Amino acid sequence: MSREEILTRLTEAVIEGDDSLVVELTQKAVDAGVEPLVIINDALTKGIRIVGEYFGSGQYFLPDLLLGAKAMDAGVKLLEPLLVGTSREFHGRVLMGTVQGDLHEIGKNIVGMMLKTSGFEVVDLGVDVPAGKFIEKIKELKPNVIGISALLTTTIGRQKEIIEVLTEEGLRDQVKVMIGGAPINQAWADKIGADGYAEDAITAVEICKKLVAAS
Amino acid sequence: MKFELFSQEELLQIHQASVEILKRVGIHTTSERFKSLLLDHGCEEHGDRIVFTEDVIEKALKTVPPSFKLYGRNDSHVLEIGWKKAYCQTCVGTPSMMDLDTGEKRDATVKDLEEYTRLADALDYVNIISPIFPRDVPQEIILTIETATLLRNTSKPLSICVESARELPYILELLRLVAGGEEALREKPIATIPVSPLSPLEYGFDPAEALLDVVEAGLPLGVEPCPMMGSTGPMTLIGTVAQHNAEILAGVIAAQLLKPGAPLTMSSRATFMDMRSGVGLWAMPEMGLAGAAMNQLGRFYNIPVAPGGYCGASKTADAQSGYEHLYNALMESLVGSDIIGSAGSLDNALTSCYAMLVMDNEISSVVQRTIKGVEVNEEKLAVDVVAEVIESHGNFLAHKHTRKYLRAGELWVPPLGDRQTFEKWAFTGEKVEEKARRTAKELIATHQVLPLSPEVEAEFDKVIARARQIEMGE
Amino acid sequence: MRFEFLSEAEVKQVHQATLAILNQIGIHTTSPRLKKLLVNNGCKEQGDRIVFPPEVVEKALSTAPKTFKVYGRDDSHMLEFGKNKAYAQTCVGTPSIMDLDSGEKRDVTLKDLEDYVKLADALEYIHVISPIFPRDVPQEIIVSAETVAMLRNTTKPLRICAESSHEMKYIVDILAAVAGGKEALRQKPLAYIEVSPLSPLEYGFDPAEALIDIVEAGLPLGVIPCPMMGSTGPMTLIGCVAQHNAEILAGVVASQLLKPGSPVIMSPRVTFMDMRSGVGLWAMPEMGTAAAASIEMARYYGIPSTATGYSGAAKSADAQSGYEHLYNALMPALIGTDVLAAAGSLDNVLTSCFAMLVMDNELSSVVQRTIQGVEVTTERLAVDVIAEVIESHGNFLAHKHTRKYLRAGELWDPPLGDRQTFEKWALKGEKIEKKAREKAKELLSNHQVEPLSAGVDAELELILKRAREEAEIF
Repeated sequence: MSREEILTRLTEAVIEGDDSLVVELTQKAVDAGVEPLVIINDALTKGIRIVGEYFGSGQYFLPDLLLGAKAMDAGVKLLEPLLVGTSREFHGRVLMGTVQGDLHEIGKNIVGMMLKTSGFEVVDLGVDVPAGKFIEKIKELKPNVIGISALLTTTIGRQKEIIEVLTEEGLRDQVKVMIGGAPINQAWADKIGADGYAEDAITAVEICKKLVAAS
Repeated sequence: MKFELFSQEELLQIHQASVEILKRVGIHTTSERFKSLLLDHGCEEHGDRIVFTEDVIEKALKTVPPSFKLYGRNDSHVLEIGWKKAYCQTCVGTPSMMDLDTGEKRDATVKDLEEYTRLADALDYVNIISPIFPRDVPQEIILTIETATLLRNTSKPLSICVESARELPYILELLRLVAGGEEALREKPIATIPVSPLSPLEYGFDPAEALLDVVEAGLPLGVEPCPMMGSTGPMTLIGTVAQHNAEILAGVIAAQLLKPGAPLTMSSRATFMDMRSGVGLWAMPEMGLAGAAMNQLGRFYNIPVAPGGYCGASKTADAQSGYEHLYNALMESLVGSDIIGSAGSLDNALTSCYAMLVMDNEISSVVQRTIKGVEVNEEKLAVDVVAEVIESHGNFLAHKHTRKYLRAGELWVPPLGDRQTFEKWAFTGEKVEEKARRTAKELIATHQVLPLSPEVEAEFDKVIARARQIEMGE
Repeated sequence: MRFEFLSEAEVKQVHQATLAILNQIGIHTTSPRLKKLLVNNGCKEQGDRIVFPPEVVEKALSTAPKTFKVYGRDDSHMLEFGKNKAYAQTCVGTPSIMDLDSGEKRDVTLKDLEDYVKLADALEYIHVISPIFPRDVPQEIIVSAETVAMLRNTTKPLRICAESSHEMKYIVDILAAVAGGKEALRQKPLAYIEVSPLSPLEYGFDPAEALIDIVEAGLPLGVIPCPMMGSTGPMTLIGCVAQHNAEILAGVVASQLLKPGSPVIMSPRVTFMDMRSGVGLWAMPEMGTAAAASIEMARYYGIPSTATGYSGAAKSADAQSGYEHLYNALMPALIGTDVLAAAGSLDNVLTSCFAMLVMDNELSSVVQRTIQGVEVTTERLAVDVIAEVIESHGNFLAHKHTRKYLRAGELWDPPLGDRQTFEKWALKGEKIEKKAREKAKELLSNHQVEPLSAGVDAELELILKRAREEAEIF
């Protein structure tokens, strides 16, 4: 197989969401001497971009998207140790988490995957994340945007709390805040002073892009 | 009448799958009390999970009561849970409300909770009241306020979903004040208390602790996880049902291990997802089919069931809401349902709507009527009546048999729907949604709720004041 | 999936009552041909009535075919009767229509018939076309004109109601012209034809003669009397079902005595009445529950059946229409029936409505989906998938099992209904009825029906001309 052929097939494997084939072909590409960053940009990222396009045009559904992202991740993971000295380029860094007292994460995970496939670097703090943890990680990682998720009607107050603590800590103008969750709406976002709210994952990506561009 | 979604063989296959899930995958919990309860009774630790053995499952399922009663705060509302009567329950926790005047969506308030509860109190075929989610109440004492508001605005039985055990003492105190003490409340419970562990198979700290506290208080428990096909449950309907059954049984088992014979319901909520937008769907047909499937499992175990049903994806009280709510509720009730939840909801149980509650009252009426079935006996078969009418060249209208059975209620009388001539209807040309809205306004303006005694009212204020003090430091 | 509205013992009880009615009361007819046919084959005259000994009934029931096919003029539209596929059929004979532009009720015209059939042709889950009732066509040739209009505007199978025999020869000629001859038509019938004797148990001259002509022409026959509980049938639902079953079986028996093995369909239509106004009701729940009971009788006999179906008392395409139509369709569909009729109707099948037809297409889709049931297999139960997802701390969205079953069509895809987020929906804020109306307009302007060949078309014109001449209309 020529290098071009390997990269083409690798792109296709990402589009098909076949993680084991991606690992196999990524190794082949490395063995054939292709630069790791070239593998990422010309095959893995290219593949996931096409997945995103298919999703946008309605041919693909969320599981296709997530399997694509999972396949790409499998390739990147293999390449990461070889990437010393070079670094990938992202649209921006997004820090996400579900608030304290809430273990619901599926919405946040979908948004996270969508952001990844759209070229963002996503750091996921998981579920049941206290305000202090958000602050600590914002200081450490300096993200462009944080995404705060809450599903329970009894936990959405935590979104407000985190924004208040951000202000107290003097960090509010250093990061954009997005909120989400089934009971959330624009009125709530306005009330607590969040910068962005999206009712679904597709809109979340658009808003995130706008927020990063404005930051 | 008998409706079986699955053959006996298929049912056993689903049961076996659920048992295998409990044995192989088990649950995860961060509640030490919950964990030691299970381990002390024969469950085992596998890594960070707790798995169930066949013995524990079998033993616990044996002690679940097949029926129990739920009371209103006056005796006219006695619900026989376990008798498959398809009691209709209002939707819990909707943060939004369709404004009765403008028809626009907005945040729910305490005033809405009062009026909505009063409306539900007035509607004959809405049997259990659950609180919507007012946004103008301090979060720290929200369940306490909701419970007090419900009790002040209805005499019907309640369902209070708790997400943690924190406010449970206040809730119990309020309920006991109305019931006349701790023992009286246990004897005649006026509320069921559902808890909602996470899917797949995750008994987080709050729901796990709440579950134990509810059982200890002796109130009927609801075990109500809410998996979503394809995201927090498998993409196959039957796979999600098998997992959902396992995660509900885990809670059922815990309750029985803690207190054999503790009353409870399997409160299934198998939802799904729009696979483009990720919107969580409480729509037809998957919701109703999965609810019906879970109901058949409940019948198999002889455990009362309480699925969500009066729900759909429609954003307004339109024809789509009409057929979605009917579909889910009818499918579930034909298999056999004790309670059907989510009445009055729109937008996948995110919004409550006064007009929709009036329409769901109508649908509940026809559902409850349907499951009564028809009686077949000689007099009702009426062969002699047919012979007489034909012999006399008469018609049935003038036969006494007709009057007798008309008076006996052979025909359903719709509480809301239109049955006039087109011409009479055309005077106002009112769609049923508009009529429902008008009915809601009338009932809210005129319906009188049986008041609490001044003594109980005064005690309520004290409980709320104490909750404020302790939970909010006021 | 198995739904028993009546228990097995109750079915037998209704059957016995039916036999008693046929044996003791029998039918009355003014058609010498029908009378002679029955009496020559073992039935007896009793005064002015003809009674059916049980052995005659049982024998005839044994020769009625369990399955047969009806075709469209395009082979992709083939109906398999006897397979309980719940095909949706448009409402027959409504004299009124809701104007698509103004939304007002007015008389049906021939142009409406053409448009309405074209719309039905375009809707995927509408399978059988029956004519609405144009008021601008001479009464003497109306069924012939309707049949031609339908054949020109759809390739789907037809259902024609013959209220008399005088047009039968033209109808057969028209169908034969399209099918390619009378023998070809017998091989692949393009329509089934129904006759509607009067209740109680009256085979008037016209339907009796038409029945015989249809069977002789070799076309599938439907027997569709239409009793009304409490006026032309007993006030008890089950009594009305028993009488109705008897009057339908009388027609079934006649068809089998004339030509054993000829295809025949039981089409029960138990309606009822508003006992204040006398308005005839095709509403829920009686229409749907009676249909369920009657269809269960057809299932017991193993004879193909049709039921109504998509009907209700509501006057507009509102929420009431939504839940009424679904209720009445779902109840008999769960028992198992071949055709659900009255799609697109309002106001107790007196009015047709373009928007309602689009909504009934949606309901038909979900009904057909429902009766497919839920398959239980190890792979679908997905225990291994659950274990893998939990072990890997992942979620189901990113599992291949999810993609596989999503692609395999595990989720119902609503042709019309809304499932967006509230925000996206609110951009237009459209109720489903409005969306249905828009869709009807769009389909009417875009949908192309495969035309008849010029030769056939001319032939149909000649047949109509002959019918006009013979009826002396110039």
